[in-house]
Amino acid sequence: MDTVLYLVRRLLQALAVILIVTIVVFCLLHALPGGPARGILGPQATAGQIAAFNHEQGLDRSLPVQYVLYLRELVQGDLGTSYTLNEAVSRLIEQRLPKTLVLTVLSAMVGLVLAVPLGMWQAVRRNKPTDYVITTLSFVAYSTPVYFLGLLLILLFTQTLRWFPSQAPQGDTLGQVLADPAGLVLPVVTGAASMVAVFSRYMRGATLENLSEDYVRTARAGGAGQYAVLFRHVFRNSLTPVVAMLGYYVPVLFGGALVVEQLFNYPGMGLLFWSAAQSSDYPVLLGCVLVISVATVVGTLLADVVQRVVDPRVREGRA
Amino acid sequence: MNILTIEDLGVTFSTETGDVPAVRGVSLHVRPGETLALVGESGSGKSTVALAAMGLLPGTARASGRVAVDGTEIVGASEASLARLRGRTASMVFQEPATALDPLTRVGAQIAEVVRNHRDVSRSEAAREAVELLRRVGIPEPERRASAFPFQLSGGQRQRVVIAMAIANSPGLLIADEPTTALDVTVQAEILDLLRRLAADSGTGVLLVTHNMGVVADFADRVAVMLRGEVVETGPVEDVLLRPEHAYTRGLLAAVPRLRFSGEDAPPAEEPPVVRLRDVSVRFGRVQALDGVFLDVRPGETVGLVGESGSGKSTAARVALGLVAPASGSVSLFGADLGRVRGRKRRALLSGVGVVLQDPVASLDARMSVAECVAEPLRVHRRGMSGAERRDRVAKVLELVRLPRELAGRGPRELSGGQRQRVSLARALVLEPRLLVADEPTSALDVSVQRTVLEVIAELQRELGFACLFVSHDLAVVQEFAQRVVVMRDGRVEEQGPTMATLLRPETEYTRRLIAAVPVPDPVVQRRRRAEQQAEVTA
Repeated sequence: MDTVLYLVRRLLQALAVILIVTIVVFCLLHALPGGPARGILGPQATAGQIAAFNHEQGLDRSLPVQYVLYLRELVQGDLGTSYTLNEAVSRLIEQRLPKTLVLTVLSAMVGLVLAVPLGMWQAVRRNKPTDYVITTLSFVAYSTPVYFLGLLLILLFTQTLRWFPSQAPQGDTLGQVLADPAGLVLPVVTGAASMVAVFSRYMRGATLENLSEDYVRTARAGGAGQYAVLFRHVFRNSLTPVVAMLGYYVPVLFGGALVVEQLFNYPGMGLLFWSAAQSSDYPVLLGCVLVISVATVVGTLLADVVQRVVDPRVREGRA
Repeated sequence: MNILTIEDLGVTFSTETGDVPAVRGVSLHVRPGETLALVGESGSGKSTVALAAMGLLPGTARASGRVAVDGTEIVGASEASLARLRGRTASMVFQEPATALDPLTRVGAQIAEVVRNHRDVSRSEAAREAVELLRRVGIPEPERRASAFPFQLSGGQRQRVVIAMAIANSPGLLIADEPTTALDVTVQAEILDLLRRLAADSGTGVLLVTHNMGVVADFADRVAVMLRGEVVETGPVEDVLLRPEHAYTRGLLAAVPRLRFSGEDAPPAEEPPVVRLRDVSVRFGRVQALDGVFLDVRPGETVGLVGESGSGKSTAARVALGLVAPASGSVSLFGADLGRVRGRKRRALLSGVGVVLQDPVASLDARMSVAECVAEPLRVHRRGMSGAERRDRVAKVLELVRLPRELAGRGPRELSGGQRQRVSLARALVLEPRLLVADEPTSALDVSVQRTVLEVIAELQRELGFACLFVSHDLAVVQEFAQRVVVMRDGRVEEQGPTMATLLRPETEYTRRLIAAVPVPDPVVQRRRRAEQQAEVTA
């Protein structure tokens, strides 16, 4: 199939998905009891003040009208203004998003770089001590809550060993953040842990499946040694399904960032989302959800595109 | 000197329930330039012997005895020394070309890899050799095809690629494990020709593993017959196929359906057809699966629907079953227009059709007992039936297909292939259908089992009088069991008529080629047929 046509179709699909997400989130937020006025104006506010606030923010109009107004501004790039921080939401996201991206992208990279070889190693050493040990560690890493793992790491590496600082880099700009790599180590490792666990399992499964394929026997019958078979054939064939999973993992990474940013006092999207949720700051919440859904859609799209590049069968619509 | 010598080979698989011996005391040899066929039914251990000769047995297997390829000992050899041998001294061609190649690597690169595994040549030189090898195995436009991925090639072409890999380093021994079983007969004939020519050209010894006696007659110099892990008979191909000594070989050969070259047709049935396809066309996306197909099946007769893979024969059967709605044309079932009947009436109509599919493992629910599988159609279509009546009916139909009563409580997986297919048959017959649609019902079975299943179907047909639409790729089977035959090709009916008349005096070139490509299990006759065909080709 024509690649351009494919991309156009996928982008249109992506837009539709994002639109649906905004509708759902919009409805859910407005269905919540209380509303933002009470939280912002405080317990002493009179009913008149609350009504005035609601009128000023357009919250007294019907839900569809509010949504259409929101959408009209969204198209112009205006995500509204935070109730509590008195700043444009787009400005807030602009400040916070790069930091979170640094955290999640680094976590994903570290996670994958560890998970892929670990998974392959396990597959080769199937049902041997190496396999059992890594499997056990994966399950421990996967079943430990992120905040608990983070606390353990802080305790061990900042209190006992004193190798790394307990705070993430506090700089406001990306440059300042990256200038303090030691500060990034613990947040990134915390974020990567569950990813290593999950993706090493995927990789182990995919490798085992491929090792039992007929083409492996053909390659061996042609005189390929164990490592040639593994790295020339099995590696690539096993990696494609794993890459496909990566896109769907984006929301999990953002969810992890929510906790990691709290733990290491790192002012990114996670912290922004958290405080906005505490104070019913609708514009900020909507903006954050929008960013995460865009990231997810872009992640899956990228994963699909990579699959098309790697697997000719996908390209021709045969698989 | 022998290129392959096997002495007293034993192979044992360790399983969770203990050790299972797969091969015992097998001794055989292959000389340069000759072909030894290793034949036997599934589970006889023939593939295990082939894998043992390549040192490719799975990790759960233990081999004993002696296997020597060109003087090099295989049993107990290190993985590194085996790797030096594989693809250079001994090569292998496998059964399933669909999965035998790495799906993500271009075929040229896969061939070049085998070259570079054993010879110190540059990448570009290996790539050039790969193109040359593709040309030798008869791939058209080899320069362009070298950069194709396996999925872009047909099954026959993929098998040619696997063969190209196997001959890349001119091995002294070629092991072919059911190399044509997954292919259409015409492609099978081409691949066998190719293998024969390559072996003759370079004096390669061939170990051919197969269950197909026609292929043996066509290709082999000597034959070894295996039964339950042991060689029971061995000798020149004429002796073993024409004058078998062992009772098992005799039984095996008797069960093989043979294409006959004389015979008369029974008078045709006159009653109105139970199913009639008129000008039926079906499209799947861009593929025209059926194109203007006319087809009748009359009460009590068997119509054989033959053709190669992708010819549309299964689709035609599914149209008759009401599973695929035609894009144009009409289907009448028992006189009613299937395209117009809806809801309960349609269900009642379709309950008059029974179906048996190719794979009895996949078509029976593993979580149900045999009795439950057979009773299910009654639960759907005979709601008023009491439990006692149902049990009675199930018992009766299991008896009809000659399944012992005590199997009723077992799961389908506990049965043998032939027993499972008889369960499918019982399930198809439990509603006393007027039409039985059988789509390759015996293709997954061994010949001896195939014979019993086919005989049960024929006998029940005489007894119960149902019509049968019999889809098969095997012309010999169709000739034996069908009164009329419909030859399909590319979604169209190529020709149809009474079986004997059509198969003995085909009107179209395609049918002629199809029949010519079927190897008969008689080496003398087969040699003559091949000579005639080659004379025709050169003339």
